[in-house]
Amino acid sequence: MKSLKAFTFVGLLAFILIMSACSSDSGGDGDTNEEASGDQVQIEMGSWRTEDTEAYQTIIDKFNEEHPDIQIEFNPSKNTEYNTILNTALQSGEGPDIIHLRPYTPGIELADAGYLEPLDDLEGLDQYPEEYLAASKGSDGKQYGVPLNISTTQMFYNEDIFDELGLEEPQTWEEFMSVNETLKEEGYTPISLASKEAWLLSLAHGMIGPAHYGGTEFVDKITAGETDFTSEKFVNSIEAMDELKQYFPDNYEGLGMEDIRTMFFTGDAAMFPMGSWEIEVLREMNPDLNFDFFPMPSATGKEPTVTSWVDGSYAINANSENKEAAKEFLQFMTTEEFGELFTKEFKMISAIPGIESDDQLVNDLSQAADQRSTPYMILVHFAGGNPSTKETIEKELQGMYLGERTPQEVAETVQENAESWYEPLQ
Amino acid sequence: MKSAASSKSTHLKKQRNWKRWSIHLFPIPALIIYGLFIVYPLFAALTYSFFEWDGMVRGEFAGFKNFVDLFTLQPFSDLFWNAFGHNILYFVLQMIFQNGLAFILAYIIYKKVRGAEFLKISYFLPRLLSVIVVGFLWKLILNPNYGAFNVILENLGLEALQKAWLGDPDTALIAIILINSWYGLGFGVLIFLAGFQSIPKELLEAGKLDGATGLSMVRRILLPLMVPSIMIMTVLTFIQSFEAFELVYAMQGSEGGPYSSTDTLAVYFYRLAFGGSSGGSSSAIGLGSALAVVLFLFIAVFTALYLKYMQKKQVDM
Repeated sequence: MKSLKAFTFVGLLAFILIMSACSSDSGGDGDTNEEASGDQVQIEMGSWRTEDTEAYQTIIDKFNEEHPDIQIEFNPSKNTEYNTILNTALQSGEGPDIIHLRPYTPGIELADAGYLEPLDDLEGLDQYPEEYLAASKGSDGKQYGVPLNISTTQMFYNEDIFDELGLEEPQTWEEFMSVNETLKEEGYTPISLASKEAWLLSLAHGMIGPAHYGGTEFVDKITAGETDFTSEKFVNSIEAMDELKQYFPDNYEGLGMEDIRTMFFTGDAAMFPMGSWEIEVLREMNPDLNFDFFPMPSATGKEPTVTSWVDGSYAINANSENKEAAKEFLQFMTTEEFGELFTKEFKMISAIPGIESDDQLVNDLSQAADQRSTPYMILVHFAGGNPSTKETIEKELQGMYLGERTPQEVAETVQENAESWYEPLQ
Repeated sequence: MKSAASSKSTHLKKQRNWKRWSIHLFPIPALIIYGLFIVYPLFAALTYSFFEWDGMVRGEFAGFKNFVDLFTLQPFSDLFWNAFGHNILYFVLQMIFQNGLAFILAYIIYKKVRGAEFLKISYFLPRLLSVIVVGFLWKLILNPNYGAFNVILENLGLEALQKAWLGDPDTALIAIILINSWYGLGFGVLIFLAGFQSIPKELLEAGKLDGATGLSMVRRILLPLMVPSIMIMTVLTFIQSFEAFELVYAMQGSEGGPYSSTDTLAVYFYRLAFGGSSGGSSSAIGLGSALAVVLFLFIAVFTALYLKYMQKKQVDM
């Protein structure tokens, strides 16, 4: 009996010790915080941009200069698993206070399900163009997100390799193909793209496709129901993707994002069809890398295009206990001060109009996106359905690269899927 | 005096009763955890599967519509049978490579080869790693362009065999199953070894006296006596194969790629219920829950039938 009592006592002691260790853990870095104020508000911020943790800290520090009482913890999860983690958390009434919202359908779905707080009374929302706000406008017409950045896809190229071989930025599809041919003959991997991670394929199609289906004109037609995915123009765009595989790295069917990024910044590959968000990562991975971009040259005699869209907005969790504090931060995100800091730290194009970057490449891109923009059609208009049309084209393109599907079959399956939910095509 | 004694005895009796009673309180914490994390989700999934879902909002009662859709609507039914086939292959190959090999290795250790202890530990070592770590390491090893496996092939002069093992639909699933077998081998060895060691020595000696040698000894005496451990391993492997998720997820993501060639029912369920990994995808909680219910019933029914069947085969010792 005595030993039992002793055992209980020790157990209790251990329990208390563990509890106290936990609670002192969550207090963060102790003294400085306690001095700052008695009424600290803790806010969690969710995102899929694990790459940006440091840059967000800079932003948060800036915000804290004026709002020392609001503590923000940036807590990102892996890009490909973010939606799942967020959806599961929201379903169980939890999730971060501030939510990085995927653009268009997936984000709007969250708003329609009532998980987000309407932001219509937020100052500064009127400065954004209507099409930027559309990325996070609920079906009820209310605004649920503050647009963060414009993403673009274009062909990055290694300037040193192009100089060495005397290559110029191609203006037409034929020139583009001959650039590929030269690079291949000289022993470089012309295009750093791979098919193991399917999302890369819809992304690449979003920038290469317009060169063949004819850019925005086709997008307007298909969203009006005047043409469809089995049309010759669209099939051409899939065939072009298929044709380009001869210029992909060896074993591209087994490579992922990390692999192709590494090939580009180490100079093994000369071109990298990728989004503007990679500029920051590439500069960090290899500061000596000289790279630039060119808009995708057209195969149908049109102007070259840069694919651009709103790539994320910030929203507030309707279940958050600190909505007011969260709103303060979103308010801060609409200021010019934030926009300038954002472009500087993230090397991305701010959604706030008129913000200039100190990075020449980002500025050039921002300009190109203004002048020769075409939408990322599959993401902006066809991310709905179950499975979504976007997932369908990704999987079908992957099948095509594995020799399981022909371009014609890819187009037919995509059309079938889109018909199942997209009204203009029914 | 008398009454005091009797009150003392009833007091003692009460205490004893309480003691006997209190024993039943001890499973309560475990029951709470079990109820919260196993029983509740099971019934929650069952209810979800009978409702319509619009994104993440629960709609009308839908009866068996989700179940019917799962098996009749495209692409859901194709994906179901595709994944189901992969689960069966998972089970068959695991039985051969994990359990078959584990049985042989356990027999060798049982026969007391030199370094048996060392072998036992080394077979079990992979099991100590997290599955996510195992998946990540093998992904590096199998990387087509700089992974160790293709480099070894090259140095052996077998360049012709080099390929993107995880990117080729013909090899990706088999590679994952073999890695899973490697991972689970040590556990099989332990179970089988315990089985061998629990066989009474007298039986073996009697067998020897009756003229059983080598293979006939294994076939006529050891195998029947090993039925309990074989049964356990088969059931565990069956359940594990039909719930196969972690390795596929760690190595190929929630798409079960490339081109659904490594998709299993559990991965398919995950994708349906929680939405896929690509930027734009919606979840189908009703369909996902229906799939979970089907999967649960399938595993439960088959496991029960198998156990019933094997119980008859068991030999009393």
